[in-house]
Amino acid sequence: MIDVTRPIAELARAVQSGELTARQLVEACLAAIETKSSYHAVLELNAAALGQADAVDTRIVAGESVGVLAGVPFIAKDNFLTLGGHTTAASHILKPFEAPYQSTAIAKLEAAGAIMVAKANMDAFGHGSSTENSDFGPTKNPVDPTMVPGGSSGGPAAAVALGLCSFAVATDTGGSIRQPASFSGVVGLKPTYGLVSRYGVVAMASSTDTIGPLTRSVADAALVLDVMSGQDPADATTIERQAEPYTTTWRSGKAKIGLIKEYLGEGIDPEVKAATLAAVARFRAAGLDVEEVSLPSLDLALACYYIIVPAEISSNLSRYDGIKYGYSAPEAKTLAETYDLTRSQGFGAEAKRRILIGTYVLSSGYYDAYYKKAQAVRTLLIQDFTKAFETYGVLIGPTSPITAFPLGQKAHDPLAMYLADLCTVAVSLVGAPAISIPSGHTKAGLPIGLQLIAAQQDERRLLAAADAAEALLQDRVVA
Amino acid sequence: MRDYELVVGIETHVQLSTKTKLFCGCDNDAREAAPNTKICPVCLGLPGALPVLNAEAVRLALRAGLALNAEATLVKKTKFDRKNYFYPDLPSGYQITQFDQPIVGLGHVDVPMGDTPFRVGITRAHMEADAGKLTHPEGADYSLVDYNRASTPLLEIVSEPDITSAAQAKAYATELHNLMRYAGVSDANLYYGNMRFDVNVSVRKVGAKALGTRTETKNLNSFKAIEKTVDYEYARQVEVLEGGGTIVQETRGWDDTKQITYSQRTKEDAMDYRYFPEPDLPPIVINQHMVDAAMGEIEYLPQDIRQAAAAADLPPREVEVLIAEPTLAALWYQINIENPKQSKFAFNWLIGDQIKLAESRGQTIAESDISSLTIGMVGSLVAEGKLSSTNAKVLLAHLWDKDGGAMAVAEKLGLLQQSDAGAIEAIVDGVIAAHLEPVTQYRAGEIKVMGFLVGQVMKASKGQANPGLAGEVLKRKLEVSDE
Amino acid sequence: MSKITIDEVKRIAALSRIAITEAEASAMAVELGGIVEFVEQLQKVDTTGVEPTSQVTGLEDVWRPDVIRAKADNISQLDLLRNAPQQQDGYVKVRRVMQ
Ligand SMILES: [Mg+2]
Ligand SMILES: [Zn+2]
Repeated sequence: MIDVTRPIAELARAVQSGELTARQLVEACLAAIETKSSYHAVLELNAAALGQADAVDTRIVAGESVGVLAGVPFIAKDNFLTLGGHTTAASHILKPFEAPYQSTAIAKLEAAGAIMVAKANMDAFGHGSSTENSDFGPTKNPVDPTMVPGGSSGGPAAAVALGLCSFAVATDTGGSIRQPASFSGVVGLKPTYGLVSRYGVVAMASSTDTIGPLTRSVADAALVLDVMSGQDPADATTIERQAEPYTTTWRSGKAKIGLIKEYLGEGIDPEVKAATLAAVARFRAAGLDVEEVSLPSLDLALACYYIIVPAEISSNLSRYDGIKYGYSAPEAKTLAETYDLTRSQGFGAEAKRRILIGTYVLSSGYYDAYYKKAQAVRTLLIQDFTKAFETYGVLIGPTSPITAFPLGQKAHDPLAMYLADLCTVAVSLVGAPAISIPSGHTKAGLPIGLQLIAAQQDERRLLAAADAAEALLQDRVVA
Repeated sequence: MRDYELVVGIETHVQLSTKTKLFCGCDNDAREAAPNTKICPVCLGLPGALPVLNAEAVRLALRAGLALNAEATLVKKTKFDRKNYFYPDLPSGYQITQFDQPIVGLGHVDVPMGDTPFRVGITRAHMEADAGKLTHPEGADYSLVDYNRASTPLLEIVSEPDITSAAQAKAYATELHNLMRYAGVSDANLYYGNMRFDVNVSVRKVGAKALGTRTETKNLNSFKAIEKTVDYEYARQVEVLEGGGTIVQETRGWDDTKQITYSQRTKEDAMDYRYFPEPDLPPIVINQHMVDAAMGEIEYLPQDIRQAAAAADLPPREVEVLIAEPTLAALWYQINIENPKQSKFAFNWLIGDQIKLAESRGQTIAESDISSLTIGMVGSLVAEGKLSSTNAKVLLAHLWDKDGGAMAVAEKLGLLQQSDAGAIEAIVDGVIAAHLEPVTQYRAGEIKVMGFLVGQVMKASKGQANPGLAGEVLKRKLEVSDE
Repeated sequence: MSKITIDEVKRIAALSRIAITEAEASAMAVELGGIVEFVEQLQKVDTTGVEPTSQVTGLEDVWRPDVIRAKADNISQLDLLRNAPQQQDGYVKVRRVMQ
């Protein structure tokens, strides 16, 4: 029995030593995808995966050097442009789209020898917190299929939790990696904004879109980040990565941990709060210095987010117009109908909602009151975090105020859905890195996530802290 | 009509002469390219594609800022914004432009116009990406889009409404055209649409303070069309107002066949562009060092040529002809430095015979073999009396094809004239001896035979004698013998 | 009374180029009104003198040299246009644009 859930480094070593072949790993993934198809984590298989696996195996047999992820199978969220199949962002309007070029992140993973086995389901264009906004049907929670897996990266999170791949790559604009990681019981890392190139990833909100891994451990997340990160001449907003590899081994000495007060107040599910406090107790018991800290602007983050992000969405989604690619309303008789019908039929309800809100807040007469105001509040948020990081190396709190909820429960209540991102959006607006690690379960057995946040570009500290926390919480996580 | 005065402002889109597009590495020169062959994910607006700014566009925009006398506004933070609207030639559904922090701020252009030069204020100039190109096949129910031009870098220069006549409008556009070429900002080829003008026209009662409602006639690509548009709009608006009507704020087009402007779109359907800062492009911070560098890249501007030409006492009207041809002006400017005494000769040849020569050779002077130094040399030969002005033209035509040195080629072709008195005296003696009849007639007072005798000297010298000198020697000899 | 009127919904839908029916417009007015009401809490915040943030990297002057991209990155016209719903002779074809 091939076990793709072993640590990534171990898998890569096994492939390189000949203990396993890349083909065996890919075949194991394809079989698991088939067996677990009822979860609807995957949208499309990569037809070239076995060929790519054979190419890796051939190189190894020939004694040629292979990358650090040689033969390691992964799944990509369907908003990464990939060659040889469809890239739909789980939207009807991009259903026919076959990307003519490849995203930088995927190219880097493939150059390191990793093999993409499939594209994963998501909330269309990343709009949602449950994957129910996929135009191709929801993904089911890997722990309880009557529940949502979180979103928008519900497909990738479920795929990792279900063992359909070694790791997954996804995007996080306001919590889309961290929140489904929390709902599905896996690790989800959102790096510093700009650390991983966005080139070739379907844009949602350009100023907060980030790319990161969903994995089974913090160490795995560090390894994938190490491969994907770095400045990209094709993305002007990418920043220089640090010279040293991203690992979990960095030790900072005794930095204090700040427990975010605002994330333990109203609207936080008591079981989530209890799990968070239990984690804090563990950390203190282990000799860590945890203090409560208040970031007063956090209460404004969600409102700020739901102005800035829809504004950028409304502009980024303008290119889907039925003219150059994607769905085009066949019955359109005039150019006006091409636009109006294509976009009316091609976008789902949530995409439309966000386009309309974004258009509204940018439109003449409202810009100052909404958009510009939100940008100023964004500055206040940054100031709060900057101040907190003067005292604390890492901030912690729950990843989401809630745990996985039943499919359909919030599907028609956008505001209730938005609240699932209450604890993740601020970090996105600030551009700081954060990670969600499993911290326990509800009585019903649903996963709970703990979020750790560090200052911009302080990934090494974040990963080391998360790794330590992961070890301390090990026994609470095993169901 | 006299009761109304004209107010005109002009927005000009100038295509920056970069090698690649504004936000991608596609070839910026798609003039002869097949449709949609100079495109990439970025300029086609594919999902996931991101813009990356072309550094050269910033350099050229700074040079333009200097040419527009806006130096004081350049050192600052500037940024890009998105202008959102739908049109098939706009691949991403928004244009990347600059909204509230343009790279160039307040400046001005001093426009020469005969005895009435004037100044036009520049409000701002900003960088932006061009759209693709639409064609509408005759009678078809479809249009065709070519994205080769999409993301081509433009500088949009907005003037103050300081222009008060059609002639001024034309003169301003002409000077802007000169400036952009002299500063190396743009090829400014009007035929290829490298410069396109949107002309805002309003009228008001003489003495009125408030501006009238304006119309904007878009996408003019010739100076003549600008002049005619202003004339036409003035007459039309005055007629509307005189008839008791009101002017509608609208976008109009110019119909070159019918020579009229026509309504395209009224303010009612004016768009709400929802500008906001472009999140994909970090801001640009212009420092003094960059401005100084741009300054160093501008050798001279039209006014420098004008000043030098005035010092050389050249006729201002013709000097504008020279300025309109930057390569000729460059040559002249160079000659004026190298051989200041020959600047007039060079000027006359450059805007006279040179033009015919270029035409007959099917070449520009830049493509010819001739250099500024050579032209100066030819001028010197004429000045020294070694070359007749007729032969100077012949010589320059030869040098055009192969510049073997003015003196050497003139000698080889036997174009030099004899200005050596001794040599001419011998020829004159021969002519006097051979033509006793006319000599006698001259001595008898028939001075008109002198022309015949000079002709004979020229003939005998195979055209190389300096005719003035030949006349002098003849006269002296004939009069001496008379004593 | 919703924060957003049906007419406003129609106006922004037209700007967004999304066809909506009368019924959708009134449903949207309620939904969007709820969201706008939620985000309006920002109005209470005093942001006098606070600079707006639109980017968080602190990057400046990021540009590329003016070099025509290598043939290797050149994606063929065929690949780029393959996704176009309608094309003709290398052009992307659209319903007639009114002139
Ligand atoms: Mg413009
Ligand atoms: Zn391009």
